[in-house]
Amino acid sequence: MTEKKAKSKRSDRPPTDLAAQLKTQRDSFVHTFFKKGAEFTEELMRENERLRKALGDLEGENASLRTQLASDEAIRDLLRKIASLEREKSTLLSHVHEAEAVSTRFLSRHAQIEEELSNLASLHVASYHLHSTLRLPLVVRHLRELLAQIIGARSFAIYVADESMSELRPLASEGLEADKVASVRIGGAEIADFIAHTIERVFLTGDPFVSDGSLADTSGLIACLPMKIDEKKLGVIVIFALFPQKEQLVPADYELFKMLGLHAAAALVGAGLFTGSTGKLPGVEALKGLLGAEDARGERGPPTVAVTPRLDVDQEAKR
Amino acid sequence: MSADYSCLVVEDSPMMRQLLVFALSRVKNLRVTEADDGVDGLRKLAAAKYDIILTDINMPIMDGLKLVKRVRTDPMHKDTPIIVITTEGSEEDRQRAIHLGANAYITKPIQAPQVIAKVKELLKIDR
Repeated sequence: MTEKKAKSKRSDRPPTDLAAQLKTQRDSFVHTFFKKGAEFTEELMRENERLRKALGDLEGENASLRTQLASDEAIRDLLRKIASLEREKSTLLSHVHEAEAVSTRFLSRHAQIEEELSNLASLHVASYHLHSTLRLPLVVRHLRELLAQIIGARSFAIYVADESMSELRPLASEGLEADKVASVRIGGAEIADFIAHTIERVFLTGDPFVSDGSLADTSGLIACLPMKIDEKKLGVIVIFALFPQKEQLVPADYELFKMLGLHAAAALVGAGLFTGSTGKLPGVEALKGLLGAEDARGERGPPTVAVTPRLDVDQEAKR
Repeated sequence: MSADYSCLVVEDSPMMRQLLVFALSRVKNLRVTEADDGVDGLRKLAAAKYDIILTDINMPIMDGLKLVKRVRTDPMHKDTPIIVITTEGSEEDRQRAIHLGANAYITKPIQAPQVIAKVKELLKIDR
């Protein structure tokens, strides 16, 4: 009621056109405002959507990178493990090589010991059989077997000096023509023949002659070994040739040669003396008597022994 | 301790026999029996079964070739490995021995390691 009165009194109301115009402007403004607001909101929505999408992409990428990183880490772990295993493998291989080297050394040493044992067995067997009998034919048979079957001599001869020590005569031979086993004169004129000369020299000096025994050696003489007992010369053992399968002399043969020089002489002399005796073994009294007589001789050394084994032993031994 | 394997050595030379016995003593769990010649060898083969036989070829009374022949006709020993021991100049003997049924041969002078290796090979003993 009061407002109506005031309006009618002052009449400051805008004219109707203006009011309509203002209303239109206001409506237009409001419309534009809301429209802009809607557009802005839409734009914000779109931007939000875009950002969400970008975030999703980034998260995906991040996840992928995380996976890759994890994968790389796993690969790095694997690489570290491979390197560690390689080191371990290298260490193990080194141990294996060391073990193989040790094994090879042991095998080599084992083979060497077996060979040494074999050589010792040969020496033992040879000396055992040489001294196992006082029967001269058996001693000679053992010498033959030793030379042929242990040393591998295809042709050989055993020479013994005569009583006057002027000639070496064959006691036994194997694999030789008759003319090859001729006697050898001692201390005579200069001997041109290499073999005869060597036989004489070895007998006189007591120094053995041994070639390398190789197939290339064409001297016709493999070895010439002096047979001595108490520095007294008995004769020589001459090896002319080896079996074809025995390509050359081996270290064991040189040991056998040393043994032969001493043991063959002792065995032959012992058998020779026994064969020439009554064949009865001496009793303790006889041995004591001999021992006393030997002591009484003092430093004069052992008695001279006449060594003349029967020369028909060759045929007997062959039988 | 009982031996796993038995071996008969037929060799007329006591020296060679002793060397062979020594070599064979290096083979673990191998019992060695010795025979003086082929006849003695056959006698021992009739009395017992052996896993391997080593025989010389040149022997009196009955040589190694005859022994190989007899062993191969004996049902108890027809499959027993035989090693013949030969000397130089007996290639014919070696071939004949192989033809008769010997499994291997060794030439004199014998080397212990060679004998051991051959015996182990035929007995299939690991080294």
